[in-house]
Amino acid sequence: MGDSHNYLHLARPLAPAPIATSQSSVTAPVSVTLQPQALFSIIDHASRRPADQERVIGTLLGTRSEDGTEVSVTNCYAVPHTETAEQVEMDMDYQKRMLDLHLRAAPKEVLVGWYATSGELNTFSALIQNFYSQQGEGTFPHPAVHLTVSTVAGQDVEANTYISAPIGVTAERAADSCLFIPVPHEIKYDEASKSGLELIAGARDRDDRTQLMQTDLETLEHAIEQVLEMLERVSNYVSDVLDEEQQSSTALGQFLLNTLALAPKVDAEDIERDFNNHIQDVLLIDLSNRLATAAITMGGDTNVAGSGGDQQKQQGGGERGGERGGQRREGGGGQQQRSGQAGPGGRRGEQ
Amino acid sequence: MATVPPAESPVREVQLSALVVMRLIKHSTQVWPQPATGCLVGMDVGAQLQITNSFPFPASNPDNTTGNPNATNPADPYHQADQLALALAAPRAKSSVAYQNEMIKYLREVNVDAQGVGWYVSCSMGNFVNASFVENQAFYQRATGEQTVALVFDVGRSSQGSFNLKAYRLSPSFMAACKENKFTTESIQKSNLRYQDILIELPVAIHNSHLLTSYLHQLPTSPTADTDLALPASLNELHRNPHLASNPLAPNLDNLDLSIDPFLEKTVDQLLDSIEAHQTEQNNAQYYQRSLAREQAKIQTWQLKRKQENALRVQQKQTPLPEDEWQKLFKLPVEPSRLEAMLVGRQVEQYARQIDGFGAVVSGKMFGVRGNLLPGEAA
Repeated sequence: MGDSHNYLHLARPLAPAPIATSQSSVTAPVSVTLQPQALFSIIDHASRRPADQERVIGTLLGTRSEDGTEVSVTNCYAVPHTETAEQVEMDMDYQKRMLDLHLRAAPKEVLVGWYATSGELNTFSALIQNFYSQQGEGTFPHPAVHLTVSTVAGQDVEANTYISAPIGVTAERAADSCLFIPVPHEIKYDEASKSGLELIAGARDRDDRTQLMQTDLETLEHAIEQVLEMLERVSNYVSDVLDEEQQSSTALGQFLLNTLALAPKVDAEDIERDFNNHIQDVLLIDLSNRLATAAITMGGDTNVAGSGGDQQKQQGGGERGGERGGQRREGGGGQQQRSGQAGPGGRRGEQ
Repeated sequence: MATVPPAESPVREVQLSALVVMRLIKHSTQVWPQPATGCLVGMDVGAQLQITNSFPFPASNPDNTTGNPNATNPADPYHQADQLALALAAPRAKSSVAYQNEMIKYLREVNVDAQGVGWYVSCSMGNFVNASFVENQAFYQRATGEQTVALVFDVGRSSQGSFNLKAYRLSPSFMAACKENKFTTESIQKSNLRYQDILIELPVAIHNSHLLTSYLHQLPTSPTADTDLALPASLNELHRNPHLASNPLAPNLDNLDLSIDPFLEKTVDQLLDSIEAHQTEQNNAQYYQRSLAREQAKIQTWQLKRKQENALRVQQKQTPLPEDEWQKLFKLPVEPSRLEAMLVGRQVEQYARQIDGFGAVVSGKMFGVRGNLLPGEAA
């Protein structure tokens, strides 16, 4: 959802701060980066809201860059609140206590703002925004970021971020008046979440919205199928261009040529040799792993069998080991001797 | 390869919500290489455990330390180990239990499922089988009527392309042995407990809510077939096209990578560590048996002497001395617990399974690449 709107940022008017200008609020533009887990959490919260409430709110936690212009939202939690036509109530103790708990688990995060699950901005939003921007409890001197996520069923989920500037109609209404300035935001999916996202998206197209965890082989198969599909699309396009059924494009042709040039040019013997080495490495480690497992299984069995020696167990262990290494096939022998042998034998396999 | 849980196990299947998956990934990758631990909340529906949210445990207890609890002195190796052990022991620490209860109380107010259903831990390349793991899960499984799982997220393997998350419970036979807290040779022989029986693996599935599914449909994946994209005018424009450049749900092709060295190196390193631990355990067991044999030999000689003395005294019409005084004079050595040895065995088996799976995948890729680079050769 990274939109490329153009933003014109007007410097906010300075608030009539009770403290001297050394602590004045920051008026520089702010850009917000959202992490997907925060967004998922908000969506989850929206789907759990009490039946009589239109929207729910919560607090955003995250990190701020040195100069305060880049804000990254990494975590969030819900705060219970009630909203009627005339007034809004928010549980401030809850907000403080949860903030405490969260900061204990993630000491590097700070309070950066709040979110609401409907796209509208009204006087209640202004009231809450001022609460979050205040000194002491809020994000002062940095601006509090307000994130709205529209969660109307059937329509697109749309996220907007704002910071606020105080705007005065009259002195009495200063508390619940606020000028919301939209700021650019971006949802960043980092490297580590890619594999998780793929799995989550796999559940997208199924009726029951469920997806079983996949083994490595299944994931590999899936990836290869996707590559094959992409290759087929490209080759169809190229043959269409050659048959003059499709428009050609020098840029695309250049891109394809660049990609094809990446294929390595190596001698056949080199490939054979590298391939063999590669495969042998993997097979060797696999084999030594099985040796170690067999040795430890046997060592465990013979130890548990007691000093008398349970012949059956020893023989069974001996046979298992015997599949892999002839040395272990002896049936008799003191148990201590055998377990003594299993240790360095396993080691030898590694070297 | 999930072992089939026994029919009477209270939990037979685990269902995760996408939110938990993302939070898990986020937390684990943030504190890597330290292990990340946290609590899971959700609901149990029959034999299916639905996990809907999670939160991390604070790693250090601020009440115990006077100075900065997060400061580690690099010159002090003991302190480093302490941090690690502290992080691993977090799920069963008293402060964490209090933290968890408070969090659950607050989460209940915003309609989040208020039942703790387990805990999670992150590991690297499968090195999670240790005493701390077993103790944590035993701590959770001790309550009656519980349905808890331990989720293990493997950071190292997930970064290679395929998301790797497993759910475990302790087997009932192992729990019984834990209760008595006796892992001596005879008790293990009696219960026939092997290291393969310690953990049961449960199948995991991911489940999304409707709202989340509609959001996922919104995200751009690949340009659909019927969109009429204008052909790019230049190579630069192709690179700068936002539709193609940043694509969160683009197919993740990391697992087509051919490099094997990092994976194998790390696994073999850890395997060597496990084998060393196994050696230590073996040595301990042998030392115990040797000292036991020595003590018993000493007792035998003492008993013999005592018998001879008694025979002499009976001849001289004196009262014979008691024959079972040896119990007070000689102390038999205590048998070391076999638990660590079993855990080492299970850990080695874990590595073996990993390598098996990896070998299968890599062989397939290698043959595919070879067939491509050497066309015309029969495979």
